[in-house]
Amino acid sequence: MNARLSLAATQAPGEPSEAQQKARLAALLLELARCVDPNVAASEPSRLEDDPRLDAMRRVLLERERLALARLQHKFDDPNELADAVGSVLPAAFALAAAQDDRLGLAISPTVERATQASIQKNPGRMVDILYPVMGPAIRKAIAETLEGSLQSLNQALKHSLSWRGLKWRIEAWRTGSSFAEVVLKHTAVFRVDHLFLIHRKTGLLLAHVARDDATTRDPQLVSAMLSAIQDFVRDSFDESASGGSSGGIDSLRLGDLLLWCEEGPSAFLAAVIHGTPPAIVRTRLGETLGSVHDQWRGALEEFAGDTAPFEEAEPQLRLCLLSQAAETHKKVSPLMWLIPLLLLAALAWWVGQRIIEGRHVDAYVASLQDQPGIVVMGAERRDGKWLVSGLRDPLAAQPEALLAKTELDPARIVGRWEPYQALHPAIVLRRLQATLDPPSTVQLTQDANGIRASGNAPQRWMEKARAFVQTLPAGAPKVDLSALKDVQDPDYLRLRDAIQAQLIHFDFSVPRPAADQEAKLDAVAGYMRELVQVARDQGFPVKVTIVGHADATGKDTSNLALSVGRAEVVRSMLRARGVDPSVLAVRGAGPLEPLRPGASEDELSMNRRVSFGVSTGD
Amino acid sequence: MLQKKICLLGAFGVGKTSLVRRFVDTIFSDAYLTTVGVKIDKKLLTVGGEQMALILWDIAGEDDIAAVRVSYLRGAAGYLLVIDGTRPETLDTAVSIQARVDAEIGSVPFVALLNKADLEEDWTISMERIAQLEAGGWRFRRTSAKTGAAVEETFQELAALLAR
Repeated sequence: MNARLSLAATQAPGEPSEAQQKARLAALLLELARCVDPNVAASEPSRLEDDPRLDAMRRVLLERERLALARLQHKFDDPNELADAVGSVLPAAFALAAAQDDRLGLAISPTVERATQASIQKNPGRMVDILYPVMGPAIRKAIAETLEGSLQSLNQALKHSLSWRGLKWRIEAWRTGSSFAEVVLKHTAVFRVDHLFLIHRKTGLLLAHVARDDATTRDPQLVSAMLSAIQDFVRDSFDESASGGSSGGIDSLRLGDLLLWCEEGPSAFLAAVIHGTPPAIVRTRLGETLGSVHDQWRGALEEFAGDTAPFEEAEPQLRLCLLSQAAETHKKVSPLMWLIPLLLLAALAWWVGQRIIEGRHVDAYVASLQDQPGIVVMGAERRDGKWLVSGLRDPLAAQPEALLAKTELDPARIVGRWEPYQALHPAIVLRRLQATLDPPSTVQLTQDANGIRASGNAPQRWMEKARAFVQTLPAGAPKVDLSALKDVQDPDYLRLRDAIQAQLIHFDFSVPRPAADQEAKLDAVAGYMRELVQVARDQGFPVKVTIVGHADATGKDTSNLALSVGRAEVVRSMLRARGVDPSVLAVRGAGPLEPLRPGASEDELSMNRRVSFGVSTGD
Repeated sequence: MLQKKICLLGAFGVGKTSLVRRFVDTIFSDAYLTTVGVKIDKKLLTVGGEQMALILWDIAGEDDIAAVRVSYLRGAAGYLLVIDGTRPETLDTAVSIQARVDAEIGSVPFVALLNKADLEEDWTISMERIAQLEAGGWRFRRTSAKTGAAVEETFQELAALLAR
């Protein structure tokens, strides 16, 4: 076909000259060159316009390419075709790009993050399903470790809660405001992290090793390889790798006092050789350190081929894991151990001081008691944690409780035991006089050098009572001087006394009955007497009216005496009849012996025939 | 310091352990071989002026009952295959071990040791087979646990291969 076309092309315009033929051939060759080499195409302009056959020629020559291009064009234009084409090469393209460098990862990571976010928002359950196999074991492990930690502390707390040390720790917990379990853990977790091996998981080679200065070990490189081998052995033996993934292997291993803790990471694991019983914080520290090592040396860990130099820089971090609590109970407690006897000493001093102060207070109290009249302190002693103060006390003396209230002593700590007695101290005698005699307000009782002096005014009856009381005072009692008292009577009494005593009942000669005109006088006297009795009763003093009968001097003395008694008796009866209390009435016959007038005239004799009245208080 | 994990492999009773005993440092007893199935030794060398520690995993010999624990091979930078020159079957075992190691951890440098060189007159091993394997890239060294011949050199050679 090519031949036919080219023939047609060469023959169509008739019969060209040889030169033209050559020029055309040259142009054709040039066009071919343009098609073959893009450099030529750029430098040489196309000559297709010059010769239409060239275009036909090109179509003939590039038919296959044109079709291929059309196919490609179609692929690009049709979205389905394009997606199909790109989709078929995408996995291989990603793999190739990822193998070259990180650019692809960096480029798609924001998109992936957004997609993940959208996916979670759309259906969180799916993400949970995806993550569960990963997160599940990690969460379980975390919970198990937490539980193990709490159980450990619980065990120790139980073990130590009832001992002397436990008591000490309780005090410390109370003092520092932390929980008892924390204090127990602080003291009981006596441990020492001696060695720390950072071991490459895959090769078992030692990446870094730190040890306490005083700790010795055989060749750490060998130890680390052997540890790694044992981990593998355990993992293989119990088929841990299948189920537990990276978390399998030995977690902790105890040999007597020696404990090996392994903390596994993706590329390396930490093995800590510990003496004693470490608290859970050590495990936490190991985990954190391993995490940070993985963070900082991620590349070095992944590409590790035996050169441990990069990991020398990790040693300071590892060194932080060499925790210890070894000598806490011996070294760190020493200030506390000093503090305890000091505290005890201080408590003792305080106690002794309190005792001394209390003793002084008691002494002062006893002295103040001794100062009180009517109180005799016989003894003050401690008994059963209390002070017993005993002695004699006049019931009228001051109240010991009132004195105690003035001191700084705790009243509950003082017990008083007092025997009653009667004191002869002037102050007490004075008080007794006051209590017993109830002196009226007009009477002042005072204590002076010689004894007790009464002054002021007092009714006679009170004075009589006072005198009687003074008589009963025992020998040796202070002298009570009543001489300065003035006798003062009740005005009503005085008025009635005078009124009664002024009255005289007159009699006819030798008649025992009063004269007929004496009735009014008798009525008046009876009235006065009734009033007197009432006043005496109200005021509370006894009263006595003596009815004295008189006769004149005529006649025999015996008959006159009888007559005088008779006259007195008659008047008593008449007064009684007039409502006068007979118990106050006494009768006496004076005969002619107490004449009113000494003369013998009829008037004088008549004056002497009478009944007179004497009023007195008292019996 | 550069460290390399090296496995010491071979059939049961070819004398791996006694071969290296005089040339390595160790702190573990042979009992580990029968219990854990591996014993760790260390060989310090100088390669190109730099110190190198070969951590030797002396892995319990393979026999009909026990196969080599694959997990012990992981991360090995190279290995020594020990063959008893007087027991041809140990060469077969070595070949099978080599194939397994190759499959497990990929192609790493190794040297095959024809042990009991002091008993060379008793050797029953086929020299053609050796030649064949050598052609396939195997390196053979004749060693003797008894005289210690060529052991040191072998370590040196392996170290040089690893350092490359």
